[in-house]
Amino acid sequence: MKPYRQIAGGLVAMYLGTGMALAAPLKFGIIDTLSGPQSSTGQLYRNAMRFVVDHINSNGGWNGEPVQLLEYDNQGGPAGAADKLKAAISDGVQIVGQGASSAISAQISEDVRKYNMRNPGKEVVFINMGGDALELTGEKCHFHHFRVSGNAPVKIKAMVLTMKEEGVLGTKVYSINQNYSWGQDMEQAIVDAASFGGYAVVEKTLHDTNKIQDFSPYVAKIAASKAETVMTGNWSNDLLLLMKASKAAGLKVRFGAVFLDQPGNIANAGEVALGHYIAHTFNAEHASPESEKFVKDFTAKMGHFPQFIEPQGTWGMMLVAEALKNVKAEKGVLNVNTLAKTLETTKIKSPLGEMSMRAADHQAQLPFAVSVVSKAAKYKQDGTDMGFKLLKVYRAEEIASPVQASCRMQRPN
Amino acid sequence: MKPVHILLLGIVLALLALPSFLTPGLVNAAIQMLIAALFASAYYLLCGQAGMLSFGHAAYFGMGAFATIHAMNAIGGTGLLPTPLMPLAGAIGGGAFGFFAGYFSTKRTGTYFAMITLAIAELVHALAPHLKALFGGEAGVSATRMPAWGFTFGSTNEVYYLTLAWVALCLTLLYLYTRTPLGRLTLGLRENTHRLRFLGYNTHGLAICVFVVSAMFSGVAGGLLVVSNEAANYVLFDAHLSASVVLNTYIGGVRVFLGPILGASLMTFFGYAVSDLTQSWLLYQGALFVLVMMYMPNGLAGLFGQIGQWRSRFGLAALIPFVLLALGAGLLVGGGGAFAIEMLQRFLSQDYQALASANAAGTWPPIRLFKHDWSPAAPGTWLVPATLLTAGAGLAVLARQWLRRLVQREESNRAAAEASVPGDAA
Repeated sequence: MKPYRQIAGGLVAMYLGTGMALAAPLKFGIIDTLSGPQSSTGQLYRNAMRFVVDHINSNGGWNGEPVQLLEYDNQGGPAGAADKLKAAISDGVQIVGQGASSAISAQISEDVRKYNMRNPGKEVVFINMGGDALELTGEKCHFHHFRVSGNAPVKIKAMVLTMKEEGVLGTKVYSINQNYSWGQDMEQAIVDAASFGGYAVVEKTLHDTNKIQDFSPYVAKIAASKAETVMTGNWSNDLLLLMKASKAAGLKVRFGAVFLDQPGNIANAGEVALGHYIAHTFNAEHASPESEKFVKDFTAKMGHFPQFIEPQGTWGMMLVAEALKNVKAEKGVLNVNTLAKTLETTKIKSPLGEMSMRAADHQAQLPFAVSVVSKAAKYKQDGTDMGFKLLKVYRAEEIASPVQASCRMQRPN
Repeated sequence: MKPVHILLLGIVLALLALPSFLTPGLVNAAIQMLIAALFASAYYLLCGQAGMLSFGHAAYFGMGAFATIHAMNAIGGTGLLPTPLMPLAGAIGGGAFGFFAGYFSTKRTGTYFAMITLAIAELVHALAPHLKALFGGEAGVSATRMPAWGFTFGSTNEVYYLTLAWVALCLTLLYLYTRTPLGRLTLGLRENTHRLRFLGYNTHGLAICVFVVSAMFSGVAGGLLVVSNEAANYVLFDAHLSASVVLNTYIGGVRVFLGPILGASLMTFFGYAVSDLTQSWLLYQGALFVLVMMYMPNGLAGLFGQIGQWRSRFGLAALIPFVLLALGAGLLVGGGGAFAIEMLQRFLSQDYQALASANAAGTWPPIRLFKHDWSPAAPGTWLVPATLLTAGAGLAVLARQWLRRLVQREESNRAAAEASVPGDAA
């Protein structure tokens, strides 16, 4: 045999050899709104995923290799998300994460379902970090979609139980929400919680989403209803303007709002926010070694303590990281179906308590905290002298909502 | 065959061969570019040829999209039409809504017309989320492409060829339309409506007709998007889409048939490629639009026309240094500007400010950009964009001088020629 043939043969063998030893690394992808007016929330989900990917890599990665995070900007809409999902899959992403907007979550979830149906053996999994619309774990549930955040009934239950215990709930509750899937879910949850909350829903309002500039007509309605508590799932301007209008009208009413901790809210609302309640997945002042470690690690990496949706994104992805520990590579790559099956039985200890995945509808079971806006809070919000004072922590099973009957999940054999 | 025909044939052949060279992600970007090109071309018919500036074209795009998704979901999911013919439903949806909207809006012209189109689009956008049965609420409506005619339509490549066929057909039809008597009358509508009316034409009927054709092809574009994405959401009615088709058309050039196609393809690819690299991509898009409007009012297509004209005036050899100087100036200014914007954006970001304030030493931590660490406190960091920008400006001045010299030489040549040949008037 001529020498150059030997060299060529050797090179081929080396190439094949390295190919086996160094399989393509496992790729996470985030497809969120990273530019434009709605980008602030998307960037927080990105913080969460960056934090978890760094965490996995500092613990040795997966299959002996560091994992990668690819970032895609869905340009604020479902159509952009559909494009970027195709780009991500073509780049080899196997675990897709997203959180801002249920509309985008619905698009990604459906696209993932169709892609997996058409490409057996090349499945991808969608980790929904914050698309809270109930239908995603209801009629649109499928095997490769996992929601790691809460939903409307869980959040309302935690908030109602605490407010009742604190004796601030009263017997007359006003429900005001945005007129789309999330607001409608919230309204239903507020009505359903009336039985154990011991209150009557005096009036329900659904209004346009983030279009209203003057909430004073709604505040007049609230005042006329003699409600003691206003429960709302409003976020962004709809929450802020509602609270401001109620202050301007001198309304003596307590708010239970689940998005009160969106960065900027407290600074904008000012003293109006004092005494209002919130149910969220984490409060940085929770006193436990795990919480303190999480706050310290997160602050060191991101420059601020974990807030708003960052904790739910982080611990949702931590659940995936834990499941990955128990999944072995098959021929150097991840079998997504094995990961999904493992995820269904995975449990982790999150700072607030145990967190797990419910196999029946892929809705995570996670603990919730209820806090009140107060000047006595340890971590101040937005550079003000106010923050969230932790009142109570609920274990996941105390507030769980039942599996929706509309979910009929098809499982691979 | 004329050179233009050879060029077009080359483009079509290249588009046919494209999927074998590209990753599925890029093939999908090509689908989006084709759809945007068709939408812009349909818009150009109304805005460029008929001179009716519509600010609400997303309404017809979206109506076409929803007509298509409901056609796909009809008869228990089997579909009203075979998958390849689905965009026809979009044409009907877009055209029908276009007739309704066009009837009212074309009663007025100019700014009033623009405001009515905007109002109709906003009306649809505000109404759509409330009509959950029709528009699917916030989650939208989803459908599945069914196999038809021996194709599964499961892969991106098959969708690409379907889109390419439809876009090629529609662009040909739109071009042929400009050659018909109706197409010539459309130009008359832009140039002098009074005169048309005086000649006995029913201008309102004519305007409705143009509006419907434009809305119909917009509807086909919407239908193609739905066939590709297998979903439609009321976000399609967003003013953002109406604005982007206006931007694309003007960036490409509103006076030439190929202009909007070029503008839409380029800007869509720009959004695809740059949006993952930087969160400031909307700023770049806006800056590009302003620059094009300020220095190239006839758009990118106008630029090619201008260069062709100069070539015949000054000759290719004399023009090459100018083109090189101008390109160099553009690259340097673009590079310097991008460096400065990216640096400032990273420097001013909340994350970085928080990191810096947490830094006990009181120094600025380095910022990573273009695979290097830059210290924001070092003057060298800011010298880089300053140098690039200055050098670019210098090249731009040189390019201008070169062009002026060419013009002067041409004039002196002409004067010399006139001096050497005795004038006819003598």
